[in-house]
Amino acid sequence: MFKKILIANRGEIALRVINTCRDMGVKTVAVYSDADKLALHVLAADEAFYLGASEPAQSYLNMDKIIDAAKTTGAQAIHPGYGFLAENSEFVEKCDQQGVVFIGPPAKVIKDLGDKITSRKIMVNSGVPVTPGLTSTEADPGVMSVEAEKIGYPVLIKATAGGGGKGIRIVHSSEEMADACAAASREAVNAFGNGEIYLEKFFTKARHIEFQVLADKFGNTIHLLERECSIQRRHQKIIEETPSFVMTPALRQEMGKAAVTAAKASGYVNAGTVEFLLDENNKFYFLEVNTRLQVEHPVTEMITGVDLVRWQLEIAYGKELTLKQEDIAGRGHSIECRIYAEDPENDFFPSPGTISFLKEPTGPGIRNDCGVYSEFEVPVDYDPILSKLIVHAQTRDLAIAKMIKALKSYIVIGVKTPIDFLMDVLKSEPFICGEVFTDFIETHFENWQPDMSDADLARIAFVIDEMCGNRKAKKLVCAKDAMPTPWQTLGSWRHGL
Amino acid sequence: MEYRLKIKEETLSVEVENDGEEKIKAVIGEKEFDVSYTAVNDHRIHLVVNGQGVNAYVSDQGDGKIIAIKGKSYFVCDADLLEQSKTRKKGPGSNPQEVTPPMPAVVISVAVVEGDVVEKGQAVVIVSAMKMETSLAAPFNGTVQKVNVAEGDKVMPGDILVDIEKEE
Repeated sequence: MFKKILIANRGEIALRVINTCRDMGVKTVAVYSDADKLALHVLAADEAFYLGASEPAQSYLNMDKIIDAAKTTGAQAIHPGYGFLAENSEFVEKCDQQGVVFIGPPAKVIKDLGDKITSRKIMVNSGVPVTPGLTSTEADPGVMSVEAEKIGYPVLIKATAGGGGKGIRIVHSSEEMADACAAASREAVNAFGNGEIYLEKFFTKARHIEFQVLADKFGNTIHLLERECSIQRRHQKIIEETPSFVMTPALRQEMGKAAVTAAKASGYVNAGTVEFLLDENNKFYFLEVNTRLQVEHPVTEMITGVDLVRWQLEIAYGKELTLKQEDIAGRGHSIECRIYAEDPENDFFPSPGTISFLKEPTGPGIRNDCGVYSEFEVPVDYDPILSKLIVHAQTRDLAIAKMIKALKSYIVIGVKTPIDFLMDVLKSEPFICGEVFTDFIETHFENWQPDMSDADLARIAFVIDEMCGNRKAKKLVCAKDAMPTPWQTLGSWRHGL
Repeated sequence: MEYRLKIKEETLSVEVENDGEEKIKAVIGEKEFDVSYTAVNDHRIHLVVNGQGVNAYVSDQGDGKIIAIKGKSYFVCDADLLEQSKTRKKGPGSNPQEVTPPMPAVVISVAVVEGDVVEKGQAVVIVSAMKMETSLAAPFNGTVQKVNVAEGDKVMPGDILVDIEKEE
């Protein structure tokens, strides 16, 4: 096994990778920018290497600096996490040239699958069903409109590069087409350095179901069951679970087979995810392959007992995949909630700031992959994910109850989080009934307002906090064995009106 | 002792009376609460309210306190103090409607130049924060007096990105 690897990422995912490296006895090198000098991944790794200024181009996206960091520290391999350089084929080529192992698929696979047009072509040729739409890029909004008329509105304008909900616009009519194309293209240039876009059908009532795959260098490819990721805001998942509410053994077998076919057709090696849309008639369409470890990978780990990061390292090192398809079985039910620094009352707008207090939930069947701590300043420069909270229980109902309990005891003060929003989603009738489609939030939680049921208690706590005043001062007084006067203990107060 | 405490738009009066050591009686509207409490540390207060135990997590934030109870956060402020500070801050001629980002951000593009006539709701500046784009709109009909930022500038809430003179 590798003696030492570098993790070219930050936050909770860097910590997730460090965690498995510790299990395996592999030394870790963290990298960081100005904004992250005190970040948790820097504090947790065996070594930390400074990259440069906070802006991603000077730090986490700077390929030469990162490869140089690996060489300087003697790291044999680089784990990219998700985002940043995780799906950048040029970076993989550079690693190959410099003799550093990239923990992920080969450059060509990333290139082919990262281009949504090429990947659609590969799938069509290997008999995997794809969503209706273009199989070539298009810059002319007029041509887009003609195609949209053909397959019917609404349609999605999508960047051919990247992912993570960026560079995507929904278009309901030809009037919106030109603006949507321009916006999607601009966002794609900023996020991925490539503004090419294409068009595909947008399903208003569809489920987002994906299959985890693992493939080694010797042609062994398996899937590790599905994940249901339909609860999304701004095309980004916020609640994921496995198994899916609608999955039957027959459909699982069929979709799993399609996922393995998709991976094999593209020459896939390492861990990846094949995403599908499932329409109301349980007909599925290939969406894309994510050539990285995904944010929601822990739910798969919980029910299968497989450590996906460990297999990523093993496969990258050249080991054969000894897990067989028949070894993979799901046990119980797992749910993940993503805890972002964002404001659910204000269209989930990011909410950076300093975390003044943090208390993580704990207990049997609860896992919190967390990248922050009390007093940490959440930087404005990066994706606002704070942690992923995962639960595992015997049944879906028990997992929902456990997740609500865990969220209730998850205290984050200083930045806004969707914790109370997530609780309301999990408690809602449509979620409990498994009526989850990709439009779930727009349909059921459009103008969500937080429930104020404990406002009285909050007011009482405010008064008590005022009365306790500066608690450290109070302790000093007590230590001198003096009787504190109301002037010392009351804090700020005023006469009754 | 009486406090007037505001959460969101709702200000309620809380009457509090000492009821022994670390014990109070509180009245909010029609409701009465018998409370005993322990300040566990700077951020945590354990309350027993009408016999029911509950933890409150408190953090001072500018004008008020954030109080988290059972996973829900409440921003609580003292309405009397708030009114005082508001009257202090509000000088004559100040205008609360400004083109300013809701959070620290980077300017992606500026859609107007000096002298442009803008309509209320028209996008004048596009900013990006945490990789998400948002457009800032003109708060009213008017004429652009001055553009204070350029593409790539880092901006903070409160920074006026574009001065717009209101159309009379």
